Formats: sequence, C-alpha cells, structure tokens
Amino acid sequence: MNTLREIYDYRQMIFSLVRKDLRGRYKGSVLGFLWTFINPLLQLVVYTVVFSYILPTNIDKYYLYLFVGLIPWIFFSASITGGSSSIVAQKDLIKKIYFPRQVIPISYVTSCFVNMLLSFIVIFIVVLISGVGFNPLALLCLPVIMLVEYILALGMAMLSSAITVYFRDLEHILGIITMAWMYMTPIMYDKSIVPQQLIPIFNLNPMTHVIECYRDVLYYKQIPELTSLVSSFALGLLFLVLGYLVFQKLQKHFAEEL
Amino acid sequence: MVRNEIAIDVKNVTKKFKIYYDKGSQLKERLLFRKRNRYEERMVLRGISFQVKKGEAVGLIGHNGCGKSTTLKLLTKIMYPDSGSITMKGRVSSLIELGAGFHPDMSGRENIYTNAAIFGLTKKEIDRRLNDIIEFSELEQFIDNPVRTYSSGMYMRLAFSVAINVDADILLIDEILGVGDANFQAKCFNKLKEIKANGTTIVIVSHSLGQIEQICERSIWIHEGLIRAEGPPKEIDLEYLEYMGMKLQETTAKELEKKAEREAAEAQEAAAQETNNAPEAPVQEEPEEVKKRWGSGKARITGIRALSGDGKAQRVFRTGDRITLEVSYKVKEKVSDAVFGIGIFSRDGIQCYGTNTRIDKLSEFSIDKDGVFEIALEEMNLLPGEYLIDIAIESGDGIPVDYFREAYKIEMISAAGDVGITRIKHSWNIR
Repeated sequence: MNTLREIYDYRQMIFSLVRKDLRGRYKGSVLGFLWTFINPLLQLVVYTVVFSYILPTNIDKYYLYLFVGLIPWIFFSASITGGSSSIVAQKDLIKKIYFPRQVIPISYVTSCFVNMLLSFIVIFIVVLISGVGFNPLALLCLPVIMLVEYILALGMAMLSSAITVYFRDLEHILGIITMAWMYMTPIMYDKSIVPQQLIPIFNLNPMTHVIECYRDVLYYKQIPELTSLVSSFALGLLFLVLGYLVFQKLQKHFAEEL
Repeated sequence: MVRNEIAIDVKNVTKKFKIYYDKGSQLKERLLFRKRNRYEERMVLRGISFQVKKGEAVGLIGHNGCGKSTTLKLLTKIMYPDSGSITMKGRVSSLIELGAGFHPDMSGRENIYTNAAIFGLTKKEIDRRLNDIIEFSELEQFIDNPVRTYSSGMYMRLAFSVAINVDADILLIDEILGVGDANFQAKCFNKLKEIKANGTTIVIVSHSLGQIEQICERSIWIHEGLIRAEGPPKEIDLEYLEYMGMKLQETTAKELEKKAEREAAEAQEAAAQETNNAPEAPVQEEPEEVKKRWGSGKARITGIRALSGDGKAQRVFRTGDRITLEVSYKVKEKVSDAVFGIGIFSRDGIQCYGTNTRIDKLSEFSIDKDGVFEIALEEMNLLPGEYLIDIAIESGDGIPVDYFREAYKIEMISAAGDVGITRIKHSWNIR
C-alpha cells in the first residue's frame, strides 16, 4: 500500500518520462510529431488496397473493421514487447538512484497509450468519412474499454519487464508470442468463423473481449455486451495484481542484475 | 518532537554479491554452459547495526571496498539487504548520482524539472523551488540554454543545486563535495551546514575526513563488512588514519623487499656476465628514473621513526602537534665533520621547510660508530595532507654522505578548516 502511495508521489516523474518518450520518438525526422498521425493513416491505406483489390472479403468496409481492432492491438503488443526491455534500457537510472521501479513500466505503457489516443483521432476521422457515423451512447463506453485495456497492458508489461531483467531471451520470445496472440484474437476475422471447439480458448483470451468491444462501439455502433466487458475487466485486474506482485518481488535485485 | 527520535535504524544487515566468472543471462547459455554460471559469493556486509538520531550527522569511513558505499545504497533502497532490516523515517534524498536523467538537448530549466521529478517532487513543489535552485546554481544567464552547451563545472553546479534543494528529512551523500570551484564548494558546504541546522539527518560517505569532522558528530568506521569503531570523528578518524598509515607502511615495506631481492638477483647476473665477458666493461650506473638516494656511503641511514608528543611512533598527526623525528644510522667509515639535515615536501613537490645542523649553527659532529639523531619539531603547523620527508647526512664541505629523498611520509589532519600550506600563528583584534 505504501508503494502505491509512493508511485503517486512520483507522478511528475512518470509525466516527464512520458513526455520525453513522445518527444524523442520522432526526433530528427522532417515531419516530426506528425508521424504519429501519418503512420496509422498510411497503414490504413495499405490495408484498404490489399483487402479491396487483392484479397477481397465479404465483410462490409473491412478496412474499418480491421482498423478499429488493429490500433488497440498495436498498443497492447507494443506494451508487452517494448515494455519488456524498458527496465533494462533504464539501467543507469536504476543502478544509481532510488525511485519506485514501477514508474518505468507505467510510463512506458502510458506513452504507448497516449500514442494510441492520438491514433484514435485518425480512427474518428475515418469513421466519419466512411459514413458509418457514431452512436453517442456507445461512444461513452469507449473510455471504459480503454481503461480496461490499459490495466491489462500494464499488468503484462510489469510481468515482462521484471522477468526480462533476469532472463533476457524473453524479449525475443515475446515477439513470437505476441504474433501468435494476435492471430488467436479476432482482429482480422470475425469470431463467428472460429471452430466451435476453440471458442472457450478465445473466451479466455481477455483481448478477444476488448477488441470486440472496440468493434461494437466504432463499427457496429452498439453498446458492448456488459458481460464481456466485465469479464475482461476482471481478467485485466487479475493480471495487474499478478504483475504487480511479481514485479515487487523481483525488483529487489534489479540493481545487482543489471 | 522528541529530540532523541531515531531517524535511521539499521539492524544486523548483511549483503552478499554474486560475482559471475562469465555471466550468461540467455537461455542457451544457461542451459548449454552450466559451468559458466559458476560464481563466487562475496560478503560485502557481515552484519552491521547502527542508529542515527533525527538531526544527527554521521560519516561513514573506511578503505575502498569495505562496504561503506554498499551501506549507503542499502539506505537509499537501490539495493535490499539479504538479511536484517533497515527503517528510515521521512523523505529520503540521496546525493549519490548527480544529474540523473539530464537530457543534453533540453534547457537547464527543463532539466531541473526532469531531474527533480526523479527525486519524487511534484510539479508544484518544483515550481516553488525553481528560483532557489537557479539562484543557488549561479546560472541565471544560461538557464534557458541547452545543457549540452554547459561546461562540466556548470553541469555539476546545476545538478548539485537541484539535489540540495530537495527538502528531505534524511540526506545521503556519497563523495560529492568535490563539485565546481573552491567558491562553489564552500557554498555547498555552508548549505549543507544550514540544512543540518534545520534538523535534517545526514549520512556522508567521504574520503575527506576534514569534511566529516566539520559536519558530523559521529564517525562509523566500516572495515571488511563490519563496524570496527564508532565515536566522535576526531578520535575515530585518527584511529582510522593510523591504521591506514600502518597498512601503507606494510605494503611499501613489502615492495621495497621485493625490489631489493630483484636488484640483488640482477646484480648477481650482471656480475656473472661481467666475469664472462669483457672484464673492463664500464660499471653501469643504475638506470634509475628518480634517484632517491645518493652519497659517499660512509654512513647509512637505517631507520626513521616519527614520534608523537608522548613518544608513540605514528604516521598521522594533528596540525599543531609536537613531532620528533628519530633517525638511526650506521657508520662504515668515520666522518669527522658530519651535518644532519631534513627537508619537508608537500605532495606536489613544494618544499615546506628544510634545515640542517649547520644552518642551526651547531658544530660539526664526528661520527665513528652507529648512532641516532633526533630533531624535535615543537609545533608542526603544516595543514592537512601528505608530506614527504628527506633525510640527509652530509660532510662539512656539503658533500652528501647519505642523502635519502622521500625517506619518510607523514600525514597531517585537522578539523579547523584553515587553508594554505602552514598555519601561521595569529590573533584577531577588532576595533
């Protein structure tokens, strides 16, 4: 409990790390911060071309269908893979100065999160242009879904960042795991095409619910199912508590292992 | 507030490090090369307990690797003890690493925010301190320039200003009072005294015993992972320096022994070669870079001791102490007009004092058997530092019999804080 209070006291540090990361990300490039928007936009162009002309699907406005799931997924997978090396990357700070170590994965995930929020501006514009439009009531659920995903991503990032300090291979293993995870989550296809016997596995995957919720709100314009939201929230909380406890235990020897 | 409240309570703390011979943290390495994961465990702290009262200042002393810096790292919670417990009351700030998180492209002002945030300050708290920090750093004109344009001195000044302005209840300091020029150092030092006067608890690790003596009420001497002695800095520091002096003597003695052996072996070899080859080969002078000893050799200095006022041999003295140098010599051949002399040099080669029996108008001595001469330095007023002493025996015409350069080394310590080479007796009269 004391640690939580302390993490709150260090909010300015989290803030300044996030700012440094966002500022530094496109530093030196001509378009600079604009890349935050151009990048998802160009991705969208590629998907539209591929799935309209090369690999047409029977899902209406598939580019949008894919896009509203893919952006949240990118946030989630970046939090896990990038988050895993976040502690190792800050080893100079950790070896020499005290601060609650949780600050590092928190600020890493937060900066990915802010990036996703900025990409959502592009999503909103695309939704508007495509003529799908918004359901204001459903839109109110969006912050809740984002929060659930944030909690989930943070829990995973804490786990992966702490374990990577002791076991550096994890960073590379996670690349494969997140790829497999992506295909095991209905992002590029609909859950309805999944064989019946695999459905329980899909339901255990918290990201299935999260992605479906996003899609409900932004693609189907409907209020997401409460049960799926609640169950993913519960799973997210479980991961966060687990991640926090493991992190708390492992962080004691960070300074020696790095 | 109870005056005797405990701010830091360290109970029976141990800490060991694993030192890997060849560390593999990858899966393949761990599985394939199990042998590579062999490591050695080194006990750095073997059970340390001490308490620091609120508002007290304590200095940790000890030679390199004794565990004092590890103790400090445990206090800041960068590392955790293997066993035992540490309780700290209040906000802890550490001046261990200065300028953590400084970004060269950001301005001084922005870096103040980043750096102070790492110490756990919120934006509001930083806003409140900003002016104090800038003022203390004396960098008003440059504060909006990127830090990469700063000189290293300016950089450290900014970093120190941030660290010292974090109002902490407990301040931990590791060897950092060497920041900037002499003026800034004095300023930091005064600030530290001010902070202490305000009731902040301070723990310092430093090699500068003078600084410890000026700030701390107590020294804790850590030796090989245990507390060896604890008490008022004046006593403990002296004890510690005595010990270090002895260690130094031992190591130099060993080195000299080794050197003598080597030289003897070389001489033998050379002699062997000489007899084999040209018998008339010129005797080669020893190719010494720094010749430390020369003279006719009719008499040889064989032993030197520095005695304190009460006749104890030691190497560390306080400024103002009485020191007697006792030099024993052997005579090979009678010298009928011997003159004895000494010279005292500082580390950077400045001759602080030199005299001999002729200068002091003593008649020449006739020495024909082994003996001892003594010179009593009634009041050794040299200021803290290491001093090298030359000892010489000359004959009346000024030709050295045995000139021994850097024959002996003493260390002066003092808590007074006056500066220069030597203390000049003085009094003040303010009208």
